[in-house]
Amino acid sequence: MVKKIGGDGGDELIVDEERRITLVPVYWLAAMREIVTVQVGGFANFIGSHFWNFQDELLGLASDPNNDPVFRNQCLNMDVLYRTGETQQGVLTYTPRLVSVGFQVFPIAGSLGSMSSRGVLYNESSPGPSDVVTWSGSVSTHASAPRKKNLFLQRLYEEEQESFSMINGTSSGKSDSQREIQDKDIVELLDNHVEFWTDFSKVHYHPQSLYELGGLWMDPQDFDNYGIGKDAFSEGFRGEEICERLRFFVEESDHIQGFQFVVDDSGGFSAVAADLLENIADEYANTPVLLFSVRSPSSQMNLRSRKQTIFRELHDTVSFSRLASFSKLIVPVGLPFLSESKASTFLRIENEKPYHCSAVYAAALHSATLPYRMEPVGPTADSFDVSGAVDFNGFVQMLAGQARQNTVVILDAAMPAPALNGKQHEQSLLGNLQPLTPEVSEDVEDLQAVESMIIHGALRSDGQRASIFEVKETVNAIYGHAITRPVFCHLSVARCPLPIPLPYPSIFGNLVGQYGELLNSPFVGSSPRGSLEVHSIPMAVRLRSSSAILPFLENRLGNLRRYGLQRGALGAELLRNWGFADDELYDMGEMLSKMAHRLSAHELSAHGLSAHGLSAHGSSAHGLSAHGSSAHGLSAHGSSANGLSAHGSSVHGISAHRKSAHGAN
Amino acid sequence: MSLRVLNPNAEVLNKSAALHMNINAAKGLQDVLKTNLGPKGTIKMLVGGAGDIKLTKDGNTLLKEMQIQNPTAIMIARTAVAQDDISGDGTTSTVIFIGELMKQSERCIDEGMHPRVLVDGFEIAKRATLQFLEKFKTPVVMGDEPDKEILKMVARTTLRTKLYESLADQLTDIVVNAVLCIRKPEEAIDLFMVELMHMRHKFDVDTRLVEGLVLDHGSRHPDMKRRAENCYILTCNVSLEYEKSILKLMTLLPASEVNAGFFYSNAEQREAMVAAERRQHAVLYSVFGNIKYALDHVQVCSGNDNNFVVINQKGIDPPSLDLLARAGIIALRRAKRRNMERLVLACGGEAVNSVDDLTPGCLGWAGLVYEHVLGEEKYTFVENVKNPHSCTILIKGPNDHTIAQIKDAVRDGLRAVKNTIEDEAVVLGAGAFEVAARQYLVNEVKKTVEGRAQLGVEAFADALLVVPKTLAENAGLDTQDVIIALKGEHDRGNIVGLNQHSGDPIDPLMEGIFDNYSVKRQIINSGPVIASQLLLVDEVIRAGRNMRKPT
Repeated sequence: MVKKIGGDGGDELIVDEERRITLVPVYWLAAMREIVTVQVGGFANFIGSHFWNFQDELLGLASDPNNDPVFRNQCLNMDVLYRTGETQQGVLTYTPRLVSVGFQVFPIAGSLGSMSSRGVLYNESSPGPSDVVTWSGSVSTHASAPRKKNLFLQRLYEEEQESFSMINGTSSGKSDSQREIQDKDIVELLDNHVEFWTDFSKVHYHPQSLYELGGLWMDPQDFDNYGIGKDAFSEGFRGEEICERLRFFVEESDHIQGFQFVVDDSGGFSAVAADLLENIADEYANTPVLLFSVRSPSSQMNLRSRKQTIFRELHDTVSFSRLASFSKLIVPVGLPFLSESKASTFLRIENEKPYHCSAVYAAALHSATLPYRMEPVGPTADSFDVSGAVDFNGFVQMLAGQARQNTVVILDAAMPAPALNGKQHEQSLLGNLQPLTPEVSEDVEDLQAVESMIIHGALRSDGQRASIFEVKETVNAIYGHAITRPVFCHLSVARCPLPIPLPYPSIFGNLVGQYGELLNSPFVGSSPRGSLEVHSIPMAVRLRSSSAILPFLENRLGNLRRYGLQRGALGAELLRNWGFADDELYDMGEMLSKMAHRLSAHELSAHGLSAHGLSAHGSSAHGLSAHGSSAHGLSAHGSSANGLSAHGSSVHGISAHRKSAHGAN
Repeated sequence: MSLRVLNPNAEVLNKSAALHMNINAAKGLQDVLKTNLGPKGTIKMLVGGAGDIKLTKDGNTLLKEMQIQNPTAIMIARTAVAQDDISGDGTTSTVIFIGELMKQSERCIDEGMHPRVLVDGFEIAKRATLQFLEKFKTPVVMGDEPDKEILKMVARTTLRTKLYESLADQLTDIVVNAVLCIRKPEEAIDLFMVELMHMRHKFDVDTRLVEGLVLDHGSRHPDMKRRAENCYILTCNVSLEYEKSILKLMTLLPASEVNAGFFYSNAEQREAMVAAERRQHAVLYSVFGNIKYALDHVQVCSGNDNNFVVINQKGIDPPSLDLLARAGIIALRRAKRRNMERLVLACGGEAVNSVDDLTPGCLGWAGLVYEHVLGEEKYTFVENVKNPHSCTILIKGPNDHTIAQIKDAVRDGLRAVKNTIEDEAVVLGAGAFEVAARQYLVNEVKKTVEGRAQLGVEAFADALLVVPKTLAENAGLDTQDVIIALKGEHDRGNIVGLNQHSGDPIDPLMEGIFDNYSVKRQIINSGPVIASQLLLVDEVIRAGRNMRKPT
């Protein structure tokens, strides 16, 4: 039996709450629980761009009083991921607490396209280019042709100018109908012409956030393996600069919960990320790291010669081992054939478009990270909107710190989540949850599995939004009837669905309705549906610590042995060039085999343990919710910051506003 | 060709084509950087597609910003950047010297000479030039009190090639004083002990030297003082975070096998945790107890008008900040790792990793600590310190690209001063060394060489002239006239350089134009090595491309 978890903790919780209050002054509870997000590499930044677009959309929707109440009561604490700041002119800002590392191709402007790496928030009126104050001699200017903002970015800019002039009391006299740039055109343009992740970003970033690796003297597509990236971090103060930027965000955090990493591990960036993680482990020893190692399908589908296959396999092994050794929890994400996979049954994705694929992963990441971003709810005020908040460390410990100490976790997603009730649909929730993690075995009976399931915005079969209670009951029932059950499942539920912002790609199939409901009969027409047709979708994702990950580990271990460790192995020379000594490789192999062994050993003895394990976990589940709610005092602090977010969203919220109008039509 | 059989996609360039590819790449790179050289060079403004501006007159920065694709050019660029890493300057000179060597070689090779012979000549000439440099250099006696004037002259020579005159002169004093501040007798100079802090504020001429330290963060508590005098400073690396240490303790507690972590599974465990929490609370108070004790001790010793500042490398959470604020202590958290070292060198005392064994002797002292706020950016100044061995150059400027350019220049200036102290020698600048070396090679060395390697020596000698030539060119002077005048003076036994204003020969010694010895030596050393390697290439094979990019 799976224990249900939530804000209904009962006695234990209250006792605990009291004890804490006797010990801890009230203001301690109001401490912020900040998370710093780090994105490293091209595809990671694509995912990040979608991810922050979701957050921005949610901020906009929350501040608009005309919206669906479900968006106004998201009970998400945005301050976990965002920071409030102030420009030199005294203007307040609300920006992601983010360090992003990309690839620079100056002066053509590298991975950022038409966006300046400093963003626009903190810039004073820019001085004329002739303004060289440090040199009295001659000046030669080498200007690359300015990158034109695409229609979408032009529109954002216009809207900002408009809202600015509206604040100043001068009406611009331009109404929606007169707008020159139509939504339809924007969606179409983005679908065909996204080159950089900035092309579809509607978020303002802090000037410390966007860092680009410069001076590497190579094409971005040549920066494609661990060896090539190994010195990129340490050379030329790059690492120091990245760490300084990270320190900027950590220093201002009152109480950092952890680091949330998204790393494109398909190329040289995995080495950069590993070096950065090593630094973090050194500097912020007790701060947990949750790492999503992501890769795009296009990085995996090249046809290669045997030599390159070895090359690739060794890269995968090395980069996984290095990243895993520095993170508390690592979640490999990225299927080689996303569009053909079961995970995209209701989606229409083109594998070669990072804009498409990253959208799917970003949605899953948004949902998966919800538990530690929810407003924790105390025992007395049971929330109608969220349930199952956990703090970051608790979340990581829960999945990684159980008996097996398995730190590699599978991400499953159902996008969109199917309707809940109705007998015949019961299995469809579990059935629709399909892995986004590669090399996972299906149908594994792992009685020791630990899960965290997150469902938000779920709909009933009549199209109404299901209540928290209904979702919990349904999940309980589903697991009650299931043949294989995890030993422990933490359930987080929120009523707020995933909003689809305007720049989201058109990737929904014709069975997906306006609110993400799955239709019985398809819409006529074959074109995929996008942000204009679909307003929001329910999502279900699951993080799974299970022996189903064994093939993933064994492949890597096998490849390391075959190509790197054996006598006269084909890749031994290569690994030496990448800077790995023999004993390092041996340790790496040891680590991988330990990881695999922990899972397989428990699989065998699981039957003996299961009875005991279950009961123990029941109570631990309660402890969990107690822990989450101990930080209840947060809300007062949070709301003051929300006042600020209202300001930020008056700028960004416009697209949301417009979209809801569209929905009414 | 056998490779064609193995890989039909491979591109192969044969002998002369390969050579010309290399020569052209070297010349191309030379053309790009040439205009940078010297105090009359051109500053480059790079404007990115998104409007980002980079301002640079530094060969090193420019090379790093350029998206170089040609493999030969990359090889040369790497050499030049390595030059900068080793000696801190001379990137532009290296690139144009290599370019010129290739250009001279091209002439010889077109006349039918074999590259091998040229390379032999280069080798002879290189050795001879290095020997000549040893004789030519001007020794500087360092001792306990270095000659400040000569250091200033070297720094000024470097800075004037990067910044306009009056700013360069202002910074000259700053960098010389900074290096002398951190210099300890009998120890290598660690330039990291000079912090370069920047503020986007006011004007470039407000750049100044702070004897002490400027930190880029401030206290995070509203009740802490913003300005304090007579401060005792505790530099520490101790986590002052209440909840996190609780969590750490909890994970250490005995827990059932399945229920590892910090979730209580039964009453005893919960009790244990509450007890742990109390212990932790006590520990935390004892931390402040110790700090308080140290403070009180100091108060007793030296009167009551003292203040106390804690600068911590680890975090300090709001409750701890609150306790500290109530005790009247200023506290900064998450200081840079390097600042721990700098603080101790600037203020005295020692950095502590635990407050258990805290004694007043661990404390440093600063006469003044104050905070400066610019929007969300805060700066903390730790000033008026006694006998500092670490200092900060505070760079100000109206915008980022100005600041970045000044920063580059300051870095070069610091390196130049450091090199001078370590080399205990300088070299006459303004092209004087190059002309003198050329005359030496042509008039004396060449005669001792037998056969066609003579031509190699001659090519090398002529290539050296690229420095005065380029200086003249950038100053808008006639290159031929200048070179003839310089050669004439040298033949008469006068060591002269080029006056950039008039084009007349001048005595660099009188004008105070000095270059670093180690920079020159490095250029003479690495230039011919790369040029020789490039000349000896007789086939270029480009394989991977087509395999890596399937269609």
